[in-house]
Amino acid sequence: MTTLTPKTPAELAEIVQHAHETNAVIVLQGGGTHQSIGNPIAANGREIITINMRGLNRVIEYEPNDMVIGVEAGMTFAELDAIVRPNGQMLPLDVPLPERCTIGGALAVAADGPRRLGYGTLRDLILGAQVVEASGRISKAGGMTVKNVSGYDMMKLYHGSYGTLSIITSANFKLLPRPRAAATLRMGFESLAAAFKLVDALQASQFTPAAVELICDAKHNGVSLTTQIEVAVLTDGLPDAVARHERDIPALAKGLGSTTLTVLHGNQHDTFWAYVADLNQVADLQPDKLALKLACLPSQLGDALALAQKLAAQHALTLTLNARAINGVAYLRARGANANLQAFHTALLAQHPRLVVMGAPEALRGKLAIWGNDVRGRDIMQRIKHEFDPQGLLNPGRFVV
Amino acid sequence: MNRIAFIQALEKIVGKKYVVQDKAALMLYEADGCIMETHAPDVVIMPTSTEEVAAAIKLAREYDVPVTARGSGTGLSGGSTPVFGGLVITTTRMNRVLELDTRNNRVRVQPGVINFELSQYLMTHGYHFAADPSSQKACSIGGNIAMNSGGPHCVKYGVTGSHVLGLKLVLEDGSIMWTGDGTPDGIGYDLTGVNVGAAGGFGFVSETWLRIMRMPESVRVVLALFPEIRGAAEAVSEVIASGFLPTAMEMMDKWVIKAVNKSYNLGIPDAAKAALIIEVDGVDEGLDKLLAEIVSICEKRGALEIRPAKTPEEQINAWAARKNAFGAMGRVARSYYLVDTVVPRTKLPDVLEQVQRISEKYDLPVANVFHAGDGNLHPLVLYDRTRGDEDERAHKIATEVMELCVSVGGVISGEHGVALEKKNYMPALFNDDDLGAMAALHECFNASKMFNPGKTFPDSCPPGALVARRRRILGDKAGADAVHIGRAAALANGGPARHGHHDQQQALDRVVKQGAWV
Ligand SMILES: Cc1cc2nc3c(=O)[nH]c(=O)nc-3n(C[C@H](O)[C@H](O)[C@H](O)COP(=O)(O)OP(=O)(O)OC[C@H]3O[C@@H](n4cnc5c(N)ncnc54)[C@H](O)[C@@H]3O)c2cc1C
Ligand SMILES: Cc1cc2nc3c(=O)[nH]c(=O)nc-3n(C[C@H](O)[C@H](O)[C@H](O)COP(=O)(O)OP(=O)(O)OC[C@H]3O[C@@H](n4cnc5c(N)ncnc54)[C@H](O)[C@@H]3O)c2cc1C
Repeated sequence: MTTLTPKTPAELAEIVQHAHETNAVIVLQGGGTHQSIGNPIAANGREIITINMRGLNRVIEYEPNDMVIGVEAGMTFAELDAIVRPNGQMLPLDVPLPERCTIGGALAVAADGPRRLGYGTLRDLILGAQVVEASGRISKAGGMTVKNVSGYDMMKLYHGSYGTLSIITSANFKLLPRPRAAATLRMGFESLAAAFKLVDALQASQFTPAAVELICDAKHNGVSLTTQIEVAVLTDGLPDAVARHERDIPALAKGLGSTTLTVLHGNQHDTFWAYVADLNQVADLQPDKLALKLACLPSQLGDALALAQKLAAQHALTLTLNARAINGVAYLRARGANANLQAFHTALLAQHPRLVVMGAPEALRGKLAIWGNDVRGRDIMQRIKHEFDPQGLLNPGRFVV
Repeated sequence: MNRIAFIQALEKIVGKKYVVQDKAALMLYEADGCIMETHAPDVVIMPTSTEEVAAAIKLAREYDVPVTARGSGTGLSGGSTPVFGGLVITTTRMNRVLELDTRNNRVRVQPGVINFELSQYLMTHGYHFAADPSSQKACSIGGNIAMNSGGPHCVKYGVTGSHVLGLKLVLEDGSIMWTGDGTPDGIGYDLTGVNVGAAGGFGFVSETWLRIMRMPESVRVVLALFPEIRGAAEAVSEVIASGFLPTAMEMMDKWVIKAVNKSYNLGIPDAAKAALIIEVDGVDEGLDKLLAEIVSICEKRGALEIRPAKTPEEQINAWAARKNAFGAMGRVARSYYLVDTVVPRTKLPDVLEQVQRISEKYDLPVANVFHAGDGNLHPLVLYDRTRGDEDERAHKIATEVMELCVSVGGVISGEHGVALEKKNYMPALFNDDDLGAMAALHECFNASKMFNPGKTFPDSCPPGALVARRRRILGDKAGADAVHIGRAAALANGGPARHGHHDQQQALDRVVKQGAWV
């Protein structure tokens, strides 16, 4: 197994062309923090070339006043932030481990963050992309303008394709102004049902929170899940609007049964949300933990989490979780004996087919349905994979097709 | 094809009444709002259900007949023009809102629902669908999806693509699939995303789940009048660069002001040569201050007059000018040609000046009414196609404007799409490898080339040829030989006869007559 670190898209293209000719397998590494996840690479005896994308980390184009930026895919989120922050701008996606996580990696796995409620994900922010295809040819799509319908939206195809179609070498993004004011409102509840009363009320309201995160995490509040639950609201934007949210949302929560309130500003606010973003990181997952991502209709989330709690209790597991509560996305971390983890997973999957295994104990790998049970349009996906990578050069076997 | 047998079979599917085969009636379907090329279909059907659509598509496949979907025909790039004739499926009767689910911020509709009617319906529940093309009183949701349409409010909320949660697609083999239902983060490739903006070239959208948003608590609108367009353009650039996030920022120049002033009695003074409509929204607190700051930028850039609109009535009035602009232009010029392009927002002031120069060079007026906050230009060439070489000059202006925009880092279409009108400009942005990747995606849905052939790809490299070339490069010789080339490639030399003119006025008149603009 060789690891190569190309410095330019042309060098990368050359490597891929070579792999293409010699029928080798290419494994992509961005931050390289999640390589053990997904199905194992199905190399079938072919040579494996690992490509470290961190050599491609330059800014391609940045005109601050246009509020757009083009960067190479190996740049980390922290590096990007350091470039745009001095101009009062941001790429509003809080990935786990921004010091390590690369733009290409986050695009490839369609990473999300707590602020997806207010700002969407990279799917909404990407304007253009350049890729090296499985043939070693370079192609591009989209452009540098905030609006563009010139040609098909290939960015949507690459986003969330887990590096199985082509290698993203650079991408252009829309930037947003950093909010002038921001605050965190942390409200504690004694039951999930009570917490979801607040979530439901916020969903139906005209408030404009950027994030509503439900957190049940021992590391965080030192209390086990069944007794302490927190809803954290991030409000940002105009100072007067933030003040309004600070005033009205805790009052609303109180009426719905919240038992505690903590308000954070400034550094404490920033530190808290960096912590929330890292909650579902799987780079440093303890070897006896099962990390899952569950997605469902927002209205089903309360029941889904209640079921997860019930199953965890049944199987003698400790369960911590955080959820983008209004979006219908939850990250679960269960800990316990392997057989129990497996039984827990099977039971949850039966009710919630959109369940992805993001990390699992060594012994369970290969025993769990990594990608859940809810792929819609698999035959078209197979056709796409075949059309873009007929040789199975890129991350073969790892993804759903 | 055996036309008679085909039509009889279609009549069995949708009923005789909903099959159009009369020559004169078919003429109504020969183009959308872009009539530079017109081709009448062989037959049109008006189904009401997915099942009828699927049966018709299966049949068309059997008879090897191309299929083009049609919404309201307000498209401005020839998307619904059946270049190779065949079957047109219109969604006029697929116009029902099927399910409103506010708890999950979604609504399920048929594709023929009119954008504005959906907005009206949602408003009564306190929600809205964010994409609001200026043509919203006439255009359909299916058309919005196929063109990935934008609108004034997309500066803040994004274009159609960010608000489509799932599509019920009828594929080329007549099979039916849902790509999503609003459950977030689908597993596998984003089949919803790639279908938005594909100009109906991947499949027929027979139903859709759309994202809906809560109406904002408060809205503020101002109309800022400027003595010259440069100041207004500079104000736009500065507002964006200063990090304000307006909901909408729309520009009108002197031609447009003149037209709307006359028609709608807006009382805008003669000294005003440019106007900006600026909207902000959110919770009530802070909006007045925000607007005051934006207004002070406008004043710094030389605004003559600021007209705030606080009440809904005042706001509707301020917007009336913008929303009626296209309609009003009809009173100024016989024909117009709208060039939809985008430039980086810092380039707006210079580009507008150069557009003016191009206009002078060809001695035809060019009006500007556009989505300034996104840098999305809509230079409107005013001419009379019955007079001398004006038609030719109008086209030269359009070409030069597009070249200009590309040269400053812009693109050839911001929201009206490439489809038929701009397909031969695609090489200005994309090489054969870029187009090859798009063709590869097209091949996965539309290998038979039956859906909307003759669109998006330049005549010089139709998708079948691009895919064959690409497969050869990938070492898939057998695959390359197996590509179905399709009609476009077969007819590449010569192609179908071109007639008609590039004149959007007729289409516009059609729409206006339907009562689309008040
Ligand atoms: C299977 C899996 C599921 C995940 N799901 C989520 C999720 O739903 N939400 C979330 O927030 N986080 C998720 N993550 C975490 C996510 O990996 C990290 O947030 C981050 O995106 C990883 O960045 P990295 O640079 O460390 O990438 P790596 O861990 O090095 O790579 C991650 C994946 O991206 C591919 N990749 C890397 N660079 C490129 C490139 N330039 N072009 C094409 N492909 C590339 C790799 O082949 C690999 O498949 C998931 C991770 C994995 C592997
Ligand atoms: C005065 C005026 C103002 C305009 N303003 C704007 C604007 O602000 N922003 C903007 O983006 N556009 C604007 N447009 C352009 C046009 O209105 C949009 O492109 C609109 O979305 C087209 O909708 P339609 O229903 O008329 O579709 P059509 O013109 O009938 O069709 C458009 C495309 O959609 C495809 N299609 C339609 N239905 C389906 C379906 N069910 N399944 C698959 N494919 C389908 C067709 O094949 C075609 O390719 C404007 C047009 C006019 C005339």
